[in-house]
Amino acid sequence: MDLTASGVRSTSVTQQARTGLLPANVVLGGSLLSLVGLTWDIQWHDDVGPDTFFTLPHLFLYAGSAVVGLASLAVVLLTTAARRAGRPVDPRIGGRVVNVFGRTFAAPLGYLVSGVGAATFLLYGLWDQWWHGLYGFDAVIDSPPHIGLLLSITVSLIGTTAVFAAAREHRWGRLGTLASLTVLLTFGPVLALGLQQVPDDYADAVAIGTSMMAVLLVSVGAGFARRPGGAAGTAALVAVVQAVFWWFSPWAAKAYADLVGLPLRDAVSGVPAMPSLAPMALLPVAALMELVYLAGRRRGWRPGRVSVVAGGIAGLLLGLSLPVQRFLLYTGAHLPPVWYLTTTAVLSAALGLLGGFAGWRFGGMLCLLAPAKKGETADA
Amino acid sequence: MRKTLLALAAVAGLLFATAAPANAYEPVNIVHTERVQAGPYGLTVGFSTWPLKAMQSLDFTFIPDGGIEDKSGTLAMLGPGGAQRRAQPLVRHPRKREVWGLDVRSLPRPGDWTLRFTVNGPAGSGTGELRALPVLEQPGPPMGVSWAISTLPLIGLVVLVVVAWRRTRGRLRGGELPAIG
Repeated sequence: MDLTASGVRSTSVTQQARTGLLPANVVLGGSLLSLVGLTWDIQWHDDVGPDTFFTLPHLFLYAGSAVVGLASLAVVLLTTAARRAGRPVDPRIGGRVVNVFGRTFAAPLGYLVSGVGAATFLLYGLWDQWWHGLYGFDAVIDSPPHIGLLLSITVSLIGTTAVFAAAREHRWGRLGTLASLTVLLTFGPVLALGLQQVPDDYADAVAIGTSMMAVLLVSVGAGFARRPGGAAGTAALVAVVQAVFWWFSPWAAKAYADLVGLPLRDAVSGVPAMPSLAPMALLPVAALMELVYLAGRRRGWRPGRVSVVAGGIAGLLLGLSLPVQRFLLYTGAHLPPVWYLTTTAVLSAALGLLGGFAGWRFGGMLCLLAPAKKGETADA
Repeated sequence: MRKTLLALAAVAGLLFATAAPANAYEPVNIVHTERVQAGPYGLTVGFSTWPLKAMQSLDFTFIPDGGIEDKSGTLAMLGPGGAQRRAQPLVRHPRKREVWGLDVRSLPRPGDWTLRFTVNGPAGSGTGELRALPVLEQPGPPMGVSWAISTLPLIGLVVLVVVAWRRTRGRLRGGELPAIG
């Protein structure tokens, strides 16, 4: 990736760069803890089974959100204190400062969003506890409280992405943005499982939702980088996480089962659950998107419009690949009939057009979180 | 910030220190049984909760007369209205290894369910059904209310995106942002 090739432009902001680096990485670290907890938890249910609230994977999930929440709170309080003391607040740390509860708190936008996501996660956690008290500990990922929890993590991650994007002029800011998009993209397919509630008689709603999210986030990567490599770079990072989790998830489930003296189930599929949800065709599809962007650039077309076409093509291919991927991975799985694959792919393409359009725009919006620099026409 | 990190480490440490209850898995407690004849094999189906309610998880046990040692088989669960889940192999219950079973499994919809068993063993293969297994309405609030509560973060997110979209429209229109780096 040539995303990392360029150095930090300005040396005058070195101090601020360091100041922002620590809380941003603590927030990202919290998100990663949650991600590890989630892939571990899902695999645990598949391979081992019984659940209580106090399992290690659950503790990873909750500790991750606690870390995100506390770090966000700390930054908001420090920012509030700085403003009250009349010290200047650097917008590279978490983005533009917004007022909360009148002027009681001053919160950098990114940390405000990540903190609110973490707080709602804990509220949905309480609701999940009540839900399990009523319904028992059934390993159903698409229950309302679970989807509430996953949506809260998504909000947190969007805040994390904004935090890094605000430090766009630093290499760690750019890399962190792509890393946050990667975590979002890895979470996405689990969130899409909520679409199992949608009737799937005519098309695969989960595959359509998964491909839409993948196209959207890869396009955000392209729209944020504004140079070749943004889309492929995001997809490459996702592939790395997918590969690591492919090994980690079954290993962690087995290691924890050994630790607490529980046997593995008799009928374990051997396919890691969460890593197999993400589209495996993402990297080549993102590479193809790069070619479309490149072709558009050579002809002088507006990249925002090129992104719509690239998104449509990517949506079509990903929507087609996901049911096939499931068929190839799981023994006994059936390949849907051609008409079903066609409707799934066509609907994925339609939403892919939207994903390509909105993704590029979101990438631009992330760029605007960083302070204006000389020569940036959009900030003039 | 160092203090914050220390506090975070302390919180994480406390959380992990409470991991011990993970060992405390409940034993399988059967409160109701039914009998099924699958060809030459008699089968006792056990439930850890009775009556059954939609979405409420429970442990099922399936105990063939004479034990599971020399037998294998499959189970298909047919929902009300003929909706069928794929037949799955009968496997040992994770916490009651001497019998077949399903752990913390729920039936998603109320109505009369059918459990269809195929058992293979020394006396050949046999199929039998436990018909009209009654599943009552789900407890708790209606699902519409629950989903409405769950999608609040999504609504918040949409509002955030709409506001951000409108506020950045003018700055993004026309001028192209430079590439990073």
